[in-house]
Amino acid sequence: MNLFLAEHNKLWKRNGVKICVLLCFFYVVIVGNILTFQWFSFGSNDDATSSFGNHFDGYDMIKESQAYARTFGELTDETIQRMVRDYQRLKAEGKDREREWMDRGIIDNWLETLWPELKDSARYETMITYVDADQLTGFYERRQQAVEDFLKISGQTGGEQEYLLKMESKVQKPFRYQWVESWSQLLGSILADLGMVMALFLAIVLSPLFAGEWHSNTGGMILATRNGWRQAARTKIMVGFAFTLEFFTLLAGGMLTAQLFFLGFSGWDMPIQTIKLIAVAPINMLGAELYEYGFTLLGVIGYAGVVMLISAAVRNHILALLLSLFVVYGPMMISSYLPMGLQKALDLLPLVGSGTDIFRTNTFHLFGTYIWSPWLLLIVPVLLGLLCVPFAVKCWARKG
Amino acid sequence: MELSLDRLTKHYGHKIAVDCVNASLKPGVYGLLGANGAGKTTLMRMLCAILEPTSGEVLLDGKEVTAMGAEYRNLLGYLPQDFGYYPNYTAQEFLLYFAALKGIPHKSARTRVRELLGLIGLGDVAGKKIKTYSGGMKQRVGIAQALLNQPRILVLDEPTAGLDPKERIRFRNLIADYAGDRIVILSTHIVSDIEAIADEVLLMKKGKLLSKGTVEELTRKVKGKVWELVVSPEEARSWQAKMAVANLRHEENKIALRILSDDKPAEGAVPCEASLEDLYLYYFGTEEGAR
Repeated sequence: MNLFLAEHNKLWKRNGVKICVLLCFFYVVIVGNILTFQWFSFGSNDDATSSFGNHFDGYDMIKESQAYARTFGELTDETIQRMVRDYQRLKAEGKDREREWMDRGIIDNWLETLWPELKDSARYETMITYVDADQLTGFYERRQQAVEDFLKISGQTGGEQEYLLKMESKVQKPFRYQWVESWSQLLGSILADLGMVMALFLAIVLSPLFAGEWHSNTGGMILATRNGWRQAARTKIMVGFAFTLEFFTLLAGGMLTAQLFFLGFSGWDMPIQTIKLIAVAPINMLGAELYEYGFTLLGVIGYAGVVMLISAAVRNHILALLLSLFVVYGPMMISSYLPMGLQKALDLLPLVGSGTDIFRTNTFHLFGTYIWSPWLLLIVPVLLGLLCVPFAVKCWARKG
Repeated sequence: MELSLDRLTKHYGHKIAVDCVNASLKPGVYGLLGANGAGKTTLMRMLCAILEPTSGEVLLDGKEVTAMGAEYRNLLGYLPQDFGYYPNYTAQEFLLYFAALKGIPHKSARTRVRELLGLIGLGDVAGKKIKTYSGGMKQRVGIAQALLNQPRILVLDEPTAGLDPKERIRFRNLIADYAGDRIVILSTHIVSDIEAIADEVLLMKKGKLLSKGTVEELTRKVKGKVWELVVSPEEARSWQAKMAVANLRHEENKIALRILSDDKPAEGAVPCEASLEDLYLYYFGTEEGAR
């Protein structure tokens, strides 16, 4: 414990660590959450060319949007027709602020996906502005067809299709409806990018954990002490994981506080299908949020393990940093140029895949069974990271 | 307690850093003397079990030290040649961190650190960051780090580098006091330090252990090979070019040269008492890096 506290104190004493944590907190919580809610994404629109042109009134807009959405209750043909009529009426009356309360982007996406025949390609406006509301019928039948068509186009037939459709059959219908836009922003962008951002700062903080001892010429002295071999390596790794948890908790705590302040609990029980119609998972927004936080947490733990192995295996701290960055950003950069099978394999590396797979229909076919990709994306990265631990200990102890 | 080096060898590719060194070290102070690249640091790192030998072994009372692991390292104090530190740490924090690595309980570590800081004369500045210290002060922190666990085997690689003469004397006294029934091995280029405190000297050249013995035993090897010759300043230059000159001293219009030579170098040369410095020059005078 004594050594753990000494090592933990040493890590937090580094100016670089404090700067990294502050910068990341500023970027993720202040810019990515608070300013996004209050200004960039949900501030009322004044200048269509830039988010910076929005008014600084996101909190009021969010509350008004939530109150408006609550009037619909469930998603049926009638509620969709009402939404479209409302929008067209408000547009005709020039009530721009009220129009902004609506899930315009989301509704438009539903219209384009389910009623493509009503789209007038000669018009530049979005469908919601001109479509005849009376023609919007058969929402759930059309959605079912869209899911099946999508699976067919993706080459997901036979047993795989059966597996996914079985999963889909558990999605409760009709869908609960509240204001979707905030959840879409939260789950599709804010939370989805958290791991990628954390990776950068974790690499900067953790890559010198072992390699930095050679840079500061203290490696030999440490190795010559009673606890300097395996014990020191194990302690450093525990500190690395502790830091990762602390860092994650700080950011997640900040994000959740901002979320609760701006959004409250409204809409937590909506199915994720309201964000992406062809999603097949029977999960609501709260479940999806927990999944994405879990995905990020396990991903950063896995990534921390990989970075610490690199740090223990490489004496040069700059090389350790570059390699640490490469193991996450390298696969991200090349992934789209690779065959689908390889892309899916790379996604299993810590933080390379995305928590938004929860909205997708990707599967892994292992030992004759289909496994929905989010489950493996949750488990494999953390296992890979933990697998690195004994090798990191071994590498450090051999470094003399 | 006996530390034995048994055919200890280290290769880096084709380069032989330490070549089949055999020695037996019992309690006492050992000075390791050799030019740069002689293999002193490599030898010391193998003694500390932080560098694996290519062949041979280091034994403590017959037990292989790497196999002893933490038990051996618990007996060890090590100050490497380029002492590293954490710039944001104060001397006290730095020593407490190493005390934790050495497994010293926190309470006794605080007492020990306070005691050592007083001993090395840094008690008043213990709360200041190490990066603000002079080179000599930093080196003293390094020495304190090595002494934290009251090691039975103390390995000091160039411990007096960066110390001013007063600090060097303080260091010598500290080591002389500390040694007692412990094994202290120190390498240095400063021959006078070894002369002052080493019970035995180990001479290393190109990875090999040339000689081991007391200062008297070793200097005996150059007995009759040290001469003093008084010449004019013009002649002094040509003597320096053709002979190993250990020292030159101005005397009115003449220069007295201290020459190392197997034979009497000139008619007027008179034999002198040999010192360890003469021995060093005799063995390493032609090597690059010898001082």
